[in-house]
Amino acid sequence: MSYKRSRATFEADLTAQQSPYVFFGTPLPPRDPDVRDDGSYVPIWKQEVRDERGRKRLHGAFTGGFSAGYFNTVGSKEGWTPSTFVSSRTNRYKDQQKAAQQRPEDFMDEEDLADAEEAKKITTNAAFAGLGSTANDATRASGLMGLFRTQGETMGVKLLKKMGWKEGQGIGPKVRRKARLELQNDGSAQGETFLFAPENVPMIAFVKKTDKKGLGYAGESRLTPIGLSGSKKSSHGDTDDEDEDDYGSLGRPKLTIGGGARKKETGKVRGGIGIGVLNDTGSDDEDPYEVGPKISYNRVIGGDKKKKKTTVAANPALQAKPKFITKKASSILGKVGLGVRKCHDGRLPLDGFVFGKEPDALTTEINSEGKYPPPKVPPGWVSSKTSKAESGGANYVSTADAAEASNLDPKARAALLGEKQLPGKSVFDFISPASRDRLAAVTGRSDLPQALGEVPAAYARSEAEKQRELLDRVPKLDKETAVAAISRGIGGGAPYADDEEKRARYRGYLEFQAGFRPQLPQKPTKLTNEEWLREFHEFFNCARIFKPMTGFMASRFTTSSSTKPSTTSSSTGDAKELVSKPPQKTEDPAEEAARLGMFGTMTRSTTDFYPTRLLCKRFGVKPPAHVQPDNYDPTTERKKEDVWSQFQSYGYQGGGSVERELMGMDFGSTGGGGPGSTQSGEAQKPAPAPVVVLDTSKNEALEGKRPGEEVFKAIFGDSDDDE
Amino acid sequence: MDGYGNHTSKGKDDFPRKILSQLHGSNGPVHAVTYSSSPGTYILTGSADRSIRLYNPIPSTTTSSSNSSSFIHKPSPSTPSSPTSLPPPGRLIQTFSAHGYEVLSLAVSTDNATFASSGGDRAVFLWDVTSGTTIRRFSNSGHTTGRINAVIFAGVDDSLLVSGGHDTTVRIWDVRSQSSSKPVQTLGEAKDGVTSLVFDKEGTGAEVVAGSVDGRVRTYDVRMGRLVTDVMPGAVTSLCLARDGRTVLVGCLDSKLRLMDRSNGQCLRTYGGDKEGWTNNEIRVQSVLGGKERWVVAGDENGSTEQNGEGRVWAWDLLTGKLVAKIAVPWGPGGGKVVVGRDGKEKERKNVVSCVAWKDGGFGNQFCVGGTSGVVTVFGDA
Repeated sequence: MSYKRSRATFEADLTAQQSPYVFFGTPLPPRDPDVRDDGSYVPIWKQEVRDERGRKRLHGAFTGGFSAGYFNTVGSKEGWTPSTFVSSRTNRYKDQQKAAQQRPEDFMDEEDLADAEEAKKITTNAAFAGLGSTANDATRASGLMGLFRTQGETMGVKLLKKMGWKEGQGIGPKVRRKARLELQNDGSAQGETFLFAPENVPMIAFVKKTDKKGLGYAGESRLTPIGLSGSKKSSHGDTDDEDEDDYGSLGRPKLTIGGGARKKETGKVRGGIGIGVLNDTGSDDEDPYEVGPKISYNRVIGGDKKKKKTTVAANPALQAKPKFITKKASSILGKVGLGVRKCHDGRLPLDGFVFGKEPDALTTEINSEGKYPPPKVPPGWVSSKTSKAESGGANYVSTADAAEASNLDPKARAALLGEKQLPGKSVFDFISPASRDRLAAVTGRSDLPQALGEVPAAYARSEAEKQRELLDRVPKLDKETAVAAISRGIGGGAPYADDEEKRARYRGYLEFQAGFRPQLPQKPTKLTNEEWLREFHEFFNCARIFKPMTGFMASRFTTSSSTKPSTTSSSTGDAKELVSKPPQKTEDPAEEAARLGMFGTMTRSTTDFYPTRLLCKRFGVKPPAHVQPDNYDPTTERKKEDVWSQFQSYGYQGGGSVERELMGMDFGSTGGGGPGSTQSGEAQKPAPAPVVVLDTSKNEALEGKRPGEEVFKAIFGDSDDDE
Repeated sequence: MDGYGNHTSKGKDDFPRKILSQLHGSNGPVHAVTYSSSPGTYILTGSADRSIRLYNPIPSTTTSSSNSSSFIHKPSPSTPSSPTSLPPPGRLIQTFSAHGYEVLSLAVSTDNATFASSGGDRAVFLWDVTSGTTIRRFSNSGHTTGRINAVIFAGVDDSLLVSGGHDTTVRIWDVRSQSSSKPVQTLGEAKDGVTSLVFDKEGTGAEVVAGSVDGRVRTYDVRMGRLVTDVMPGAVTSLCLARDGRTVLVGCLDSKLRLMDRSNGQCLRTYGGDKEGWTNNEIRVQSVLGGKERWVVAGDENGSTEQNGEGRVWAWDLLTGKLVAKIAVPWGPGGGKVVVGRDGKEKERKNVVSCVAWKDGGFGNQFCVGGTSGVVTVFGDA
């Protein structure tokens, strides 16, 4: 190596050399004095949990405290500062458009968010991961054999259990015998006898004689009680090396075939002579009495992959420790219930793949012999139950496909069906141009045929019918309103002052509705039917607003309970619905009239206003009648004042006599306006004049009696001085 | 594009189409133009640049005006370099600056000695023309909020000032009283901002008409103590009385101008509308009667953007309601200037012609228009 390597690469190389078999996780750095101590060997109690940003995450009472809040909570020196108090008095909660709502995410840190994000991912269950997936094959493998062999408890076992039998007991009446305690040598301690369940009789499995060895030769295989064999197996620590699939060990006698693969039975008697507990290494496979070099040959080619125990035995606790199993592997494990089998390179099989395995013993047994072949189907046999789905599915063609495959056009189909030939027209011949444009806009196709808007002969109506239908849609106005509207129109307040033709049409409409005219005026040529009808609706509204003043005033004071007479008369049909209808928002008739262009009396309203006297003076006019304070009749004023002063004086005297009270009541009942009106009359402020009825035909200011000269002097006399 | 020929609509009528001059100097849109009283020799412009300018619209080259020599002639600083293509500039006589906000309305007294102005600073200023200073400022306890859209002289010998503004009130001020800062009267009937005011001098002599955004034209008859309210179909933005006071031209934000009979509130004639393409839906656009009350002249809120920011003036025949003229109003000499809006973005330049004034109360032979370009264009007979 000619160049100097960086320390990082050196260390990486060293790590790779020292621990080449690390597949999961990060290998610990080699224990090499040259290698920097990066804290990997810090004992657990000294290690700290830090997040990806290097912040200490866990704070105990003795490790966090102040610094936890100081450095960690908000990441600022100041820590968490409450925001300044903001009064919500003016800014109520309901006024807020978007109320600041706290979400769970506000309280989550990055890890929680990441978790939540991961939890959101939806994946299909492995069983549904895809058709044809082999992920579950391991569990499904015994599917067919389940027909021949009960899985789980057989009915016999269930019955026995109901009768009180427990697994591990023998069958039969209870046996009275001494308690057989653990140590066999103190069996003579007491003579007490108890009822025990009979001993389980080990079932003897007969091994099929396949070899040419002598009868009874037990050199390699013996008659083994199946229970013992099972228990021994389950006691094996090294499930890792379990080669065989023990599907057969589900409480059923196992046909041990080809026992060469069986492990040798080891001495099962504990506490034997010469061997103590201390000698027990925990490994059952080791025969302490075995002599000679421990050489084991593979007796089955490729079958036995039994590892040397020596490497593992160095630390038997290793196997007892929980091992890291990836999620993937654990899912496989959970399903298969097997030890993890790895590929030859030490990896787990790919997801969805399982190891090939020997076929089920029973099945192979049956099939290998060719003894019980399934019955042959007779050559000419045809099932009577041909499923319909099968027959239908065979030549199933979707409607769309069929339609595509068909080379018939609608006309040909109609001919086939014997329908009467339609006139050779398309939809576009019947729809209106507007609809056609809409279609074109929606479909984005400009090559649609032109719409003709024809009406099929069956539906075609005569011109008269059309006209009648159109006239039916003309809004009906009751006669009185129409007459009133006409009379008002004569009076000079007719609408549409700026459009003579329209005014004529309006008049025609009114006359028709009033019954003066047998039919509506002719439709002007420039208007379409729709426009014409719309105009009639406008006229209708117009005439309704344009009612005589009584109706106009009545409509002003319409309450929600009473309906307008015009409404009821015009639409008697929906009188029932009106009951449930909410009262319509009353629109200002003046605004409506202005919108319709009916300027004049409808849009005009006159009220009093009270110019100040200085204003009148500056305008060079006499103050109007209702502004002048001396407009009031002095006699009535005085009378009122007299009564009021009387009343006041009585009141101030605090008298309790009936007479005075009566006086007061009398005044209250006759005085009408009461004290308030009198006071306002006295006030300098111009009084709201309920008594003044303004007669527009007569100008009191001009025609009334001219007040005395001193009044004018009082008003106008000082105008020169003012300037 | 022949922007100044203005022969867009040829007719036999003698509508003044020729641009006599252009009045430069404003640094912002012109909101108000008015002619001086009775001879109408001068033009006052109220601009968004907070100042009021007094012009003689007759350019100095044709200096034959009667009393223009009595004023100091200040040549306009923005005299165009290419006089061949541009109309001659009018003569700026004086600039009145005291306003702190834009000037929205102007009114000249009958004797031409004083004029009143109002604008964004909630005050009505009464100016002395010759000294160029304000005589009175009607602002204390006046219009409390918003700008003042309109101001007029009223009363005998212009003894009153009437102002109406955004605070929905019409306030009447006494010009003569030196002490009182309170208005003579406050008329608070309007439900929305008051946009326009006219005083009926000739008719009953004591009527103030106020147009409001609430779509009402209110006639305050002081003599009768009567308030007549006429409902219009849209916000009223412009009012113009005929000289006899019998009819009033009402500009409404429903794209129509209406000539209303004041005696009974009926509509005599409607001008504009969709047929002719004149629309007015958003902006206050002034409309006046002109040419001895033969025409209705109105500005345009839709300046054509493609023709270098040209605005338009529309004129209709008063009696027939037919469109008489559609005259282009050039942007003015600042043609290359980029207009930047309040938000700092470059604005699409369009010359909204918002104010129109006809000389001598509609009886003179020229009229002027002002708008967003800041240049007041004076039209007159050829």
